[in-house]
Amino acid sequence: MRIEALRNMVRRAPLARALALGAIAALPISVIGAPAKAETRGYMISWFATATKIDDFKANCPEDRNGGGLKVDIRDLMEIGLTEEQAIAHINNTARDADGTNYGKQIRTRARVKGEPASIYNYPDATKDPNIETSAGKYAYGFNLDGKSKDSDFIDPDTGERVDNQMWRAVGCSESYRAVPPAMPYPEELSWNLMIDTMPAWAVSLTADDFSKDGPVKIVLDRALQHLERDATGGVMWNGTFVIDPSPRSHNELEGYMKDGVITIKPKDISLEAEHPFYAEMDIKNAHMRFKLQPDGKLVAYWGGYFDWLKYAYMYTSRPANGADTIGLYHAMKKMADAAPDPKTGQNTMISITFRMEAVPAFHANMDGKVVAKAVDPGQNGPVSFTK
Amino acid sequence: MKNVRVSLRRGLIAAVSLVSLAAATPAIVVWAADTAPAADEPTSVRLSPSQFRQTIADVFGTGIVISGRFEPEVREQGLLAVGARKASITDMGLERYDELARNIAAQVVDERNRVTLIPCKPKSATAADDACARTFLASAGKLLYRRSLNDGELAALVKVAGDSANGLKDFYAGVGTSVANMLVSPNFLFRYKFVEADADNAGKFRLDSFSKAQALSYLLWNSTPDAMLIDAAESGKLHTKAGLQFQVDRMLSSPRVEGGIRAFFSDMLGFSDFEVLSKDPMFFPRYTIRVKEESQEQTLRTIVDHIVKRQGDYRDLFTTPNTFLTRALASLYAVPLVETTDNGQPMRWIPYTYPEGDPRAGILAHASFVALHSPAGRTSPTGRGKALRENILCQAVPAPPGNVDFSAVEQASRELSTARERLAAHATQPMCAGCHKITDPMGLALENFDSSGGYRTTENGAQIDTNVEVSGVKISGAAGLAKAIHGDPAAVSCVAKRIFAFGAGRLPLATDVEWNRIEKAFASSKYNVLSLMREIALSDLFYRPQNIQLASASGK
Amino acid sequence: MDLKIDRRQVLRGMMAGSAVTVGLPILDCQLNANGDAFAATGARIPPRFGTWFWGLGLNEGEWQPKQTGTNYELSRQLVALKRHQKKMVLFSGGQVFLDGAANNTHFTGVQGLMTGKVTGSAEYFGSIDTLVADVVGNGTRFRSIDVSCDGDPKACWSARKDSGKQPAEVSPIALYTRIFGPEYQDPNAADFKPDPGVMVRRSALSAVSEERASLMGKLGAADKAKLDSYFTSLRALEQKLEIQLQKPEPLQACTKPSKPKEDEQLSTLATVAMERHDVFAGLIAHALACGQTRVFNLSITQGMSGLRKEGEPSSHHTYTHEEPIDSTAGYQIKCDWFSMLYMQGLANFVTILDSIQEGDRTMLDRMMMFAFTDHGAPRLHSLRNYPIMLFGSVDGRMKTGMHIASPGDAVTRVGLTVQQVMGVSVSAWGVGSNRVTNPYSEVFA
Repeated sequence: MRIEALRNMVRRAPLARALALGAIAALPISVIGAPAKAETRGYMISWFATATKIDDFKANCPEDRNGGGLKVDIRDLMEIGLTEEQAIAHINNTARDADGTNYGKQIRTRARVKGEPASIYNYPDATKDPNIETSAGKYAYGFNLDGKSKDSDFIDPDTGERVDNQMWRAVGCSESYRAVPPAMPYPEELSWNLMIDTMPAWAVSLTADDFSKDGPVKIVLDRALQHLERDATGGVMWNGTFVIDPSPRSHNELEGYMKDGVITIKPKDISLEAEHPFYAEMDIKNAHMRFKLQPDGKLVAYWGGYFDWLKYAYMYTSRPANGADTIGLYHAMKKMADAAPDPKTGQNTMISITFRMEAVPAFHANMDGKVVAKAVDPGQNGPVSFTK
Repeated sequence: MKNVRVSLRRGLIAAVSLVSLAAATPAIVVWAADTAPAADEPTSVRLSPSQFRQTIADVFGTGIVISGRFEPEVREQGLLAVGARKASITDMGLERYDELARNIAAQVVDERNRVTLIPCKPKSATAADDACARTFLASAGKLLYRRSLNDGELAALVKVAGDSANGLKDFYAGVGTSVANMLVSPNFLFRYKFVEADADNAGKFRLDSFSKAQALSYLLWNSTPDAMLIDAAESGKLHTKAGLQFQVDRMLSSPRVEGGIRAFFSDMLGFSDFEVLSKDPMFFPRYTIRVKEESQEQTLRTIVDHIVKRQGDYRDLFTTPNTFLTRALASLYAVPLVETTDNGQPMRWIPYTYPEGDPRAGILAHASFVALHSPAGRTSPTGRGKALRENILCQAVPAPPGNVDFSAVEQASRELSTARERLAAHATQPMCAGCHKITDPMGLALENFDSSGGYRTTENGAQIDTNVEVSGVKISGAAGLAKAIHGDPAAVSCVAKRIFAFGAGRLPLATDVEWNRIEKAFASSKYNVLSLMREIALSDLFYRPQNIQLASASGK
Repeated sequence: MDLKIDRRQVLRGMMAGSAVTVGLPILDCQLNANGDAFAATGARIPPRFGTWFWGLGLNEGEWQPKQTGTNYELSRQLVALKRHQKKMVLFSGGQVFLDGAANNTHFTGVQGLMTGKVTGSAEYFGSIDTLVADVVGNGTRFRSIDVSCDGDPKACWSARKDSGKQPAEVSPIALYTRIFGPEYQDPNAADFKPDPGVMVRRSALSAVSEERASLMGKLGAADKAKLDSYFTSLRALEQKLEIQLQKPEPLQACTKPSKPKEDEQLSTLATVAMERHDVFAGLIAHALACGQTRVFNLSITQGMSGLRKEGEPSSHHTYTHEEPIDSTAGYQIKCDWFSMLYMQGLANFVTILDSIQEGDRTMLDRMMMFAFTDHGAPRLHSLRNYPIMLFGSVDGRMKTGMHIASPGDAVTRVGLTVQQVMGVSVSAWGVGSNRVTNPYSEVFA
């Protein structure tokens, strides 16, 4: 019903503006003529990573054989022909840094292309699969993407639903994924922190008649022109103002419904531009999402869907020094991929996955300088003004 | 034409009031009773850090980097500029000045700057060249000592430069040594007021023209007199009404006046305390180092814009919705500030106007006030109220009594949510209540601002009540307080007195006839601060010698 | 006058690159107060003196030992000092008399305690350390080293008779550079070559001192006094440069400390201030051992301390007013946390001084450290019953290991005692009711 009203409004907006700014930007907040009650709240994504569920490691990873960086190094050395004893002795005698060892180059070029040594990062498929342990666990965050109930499904600890999350199968026993928010899986944390000081940030806005009641909520995902700012603790600054990039490329409009404080969307493909070495883009097919507004004003959400696993793996293969078992993860993802088979090879190109995000209150404005979404921060509840 | 007539009339009034003063009582007695401090009060003032910086920038250019700390300043009668009169220089202070001096001198003569700053080329770069050194030292010395150097002084500097140049086999290093000498000299670090017999009024005394020139330039520019002003002093023109007026109007129309305005308000608003201000990032994550720096700049920009650019009414500073923000400040205040330039552009200052009735309008709501006068973890309405009384209204707040027994307060203060509740408990002590009545209500009206300057309506979950009563008047919140200050005659009288004292190093006497005239002129200018500065700069009151004992011993 | 010219000629000669060991004419400042020995001969290490200030005293009833004399048991708040008890004199009971002046809390008490004079104004001249420095502080590069641990340069309580409070150094890095930076001469280095830049500067500065006469003639009495104070500072600067031009006497205990890490961001956390304190303590001990100074003053904070415990919104000072006395413990628990932290810091400092061996004694044994605070019972901001400690025996000149209680006595008696032990020629000290003529002679060895 409300969604319909929104659509009507968009239709009434000047065409050029609707095209340039996306429909939501044309929605005035407190301007005469708009439905008086509609409220749009702005947020900036301040935390984004693969959702983890690690509280029962023993049950999830009974073999516990992946180990951390040291074990990876030993495995790498064994791959090029050392015995385990030799590998350990070598590590004990030299710096653990792969570049510091005599074997560094051999390790990095142990791929074989037409019989010639080649970079394992450029040719992971031509590198032997170390066959890392994958998760045998029961629980993981996610959504039922294919509408089916299968043995491979996890159970979502929040909803109790059977959900698809093959990515978690692939990475769930990897040491770098044993992180609980606010920590992110190590490779993502590394690239996220490297990028947020320069990378245009992702914006989320919510529009509803009344946020205290159940009902439809319109969700818009966008990219801003500015990057995030840090606060005095190194965290993300709240209540900043971000101008929304008028390009339609990262503009996603979603229909949601709020029930008992949880907003669930109608599944849809989404696309957000980002920057390497963080995800070059966040393209999720058949995206499912649920958002929750926290009492402190923060927005927390799970986003599930199908993701191009090669693009995910690229975060590792393009940045070897990420502390993870690059080749092991690559092959695990490849094996676990569960959607969009390549018509020629039959290899699945997409994998079911769940991301977790947090977003902090922020003002959004359009290129004309008009404020289109307000920051709602219960701790800083000053009167909100909309003059320029 | 109209301007001229106005000026003439002003001149006439000034002359008349002078005459009437002189007729009533011998001038010396008037001075002594009026403004002259006790005979043993010093009249010289130590150059403040901001004056030091501005002077170096004006003499040697803004490219000279001044890094290093200065001796702390002392606030007296509400201003560091007044405290500077008592300030001498400690061991460690001079050690620091020496470091600064050597550092600045080295930059002045380095290869990058010598071409533009030293007007001649030495015969040899590795030996003394007295003639070239003299040319440069005479012109730099004139600006640093605020007068032409006498022959002996110049000869001494040239000799030091020469000896050092020969010793170090480097002409420029030699000149640098003399520059460093000037920069640690008491002739540079202190500003003196010398008195001479008044050639136009037999038996009377006046400041000599160089003392007059520097008083003028540090009032209007917070910096050293430029060559034109020194020349006017040298030629005696500054002692004539027309000559003085020409210089004052010239100086007021110079962009350097912004430096004077900034320095005065930084002093009056107590910004030197920012040096030791910090907030707990766990409580106030948005109060970053940048926010701390930018909050001072926000207020100074707002003031310069209002006073210099708009020539606005001083009182409107307390209510003006116009200000300038950065993205970080806007986040602190939680207001939307639209910056449409591309990602990665340098930080910009963006004009921002609050909508009508917004409690964050006016300079008292800036973090430079509410955060500066708050402890690291929570607010202190007492501290804010005290700052408001003392810094803005020139009212004295008694120091807390010693040996107070707070035991009566203890039980009550155990688990109280808001500052108002805590203070109410405190006020159950009659000996505390008296003073807190003076400070707290004003501070409580600002309680919507947390210790960092962010806006809030609750504290520890309890609703904040900002309704207060000040001197029988009911005030609601920051906007109400701003309005009350706007309407309080103490605010305008305070800023006028402080501007005078900023330049003169002493307060004017409230009953002085000439001062009353200046105050009236301020009122009829609709509290235009620049026109107040003009009145002060043109008034005899500003240049009255203070230390009469000197007069007989002085003279050119 | 002739002397000055000679000196410059000597310096010029040195600049021309002649031998290193050119003797400088003897200046008054290179002699000690009695004029009987070169200050820098090293024949006997002159006594050294330090002050250590912490804000807001100690909790009533929690620090004062029950017994007096040499056989006493340290009370709870002083247990951190247990290992130094034998090298400490503890005073209790002393007070500052106001004589009708207003008690400007956190200031007036120290004014009386450190300068002997309560004025009712913000005037602060002639603190004990400078009176002592006049006797023992000459002939070193720095007349005194003054630091504050909370980032506030105004927190220092040292003031010459003529120039007001010294600014405190707040950054360990800056202090390190000032003492041990490029201008530092290692007393134990085999070779010595005076820095030509320093020679030039020293020589050039005498031209500045020659400006004195022309200025003085034009000034009134008050401005003259101010200018005199400036020229006293100028002489100190000249002396510092002169010392840099002399080959220092070897000092066995001297080693150059390592450079402290970058300064912490300005913070109001007490733990951060105390970390800085420990770094300062190390630097000061090295500066003393290397003969760079003989006097230091350390303040943790201003009296009205704004330091906080992590996670607490209010400061120590606020808690002295607002924190209820805990009904079980019998004292203010939060305030106690700060006091205990400071006493631990004090113990750390003394430990450092006592760990440096100089011949048959430790550095602590050859010096005196005077620890004081702004208030007696801090909850009441009282000027009574000040806790004061002296550490070290000044080369056997002072007896230690005792607690001296003298309730109601002027606290200036401690100041007089300190001065006499340190060799200041003074028989009476203080003004009004704070004037005393009776030192605690029981500590005289």
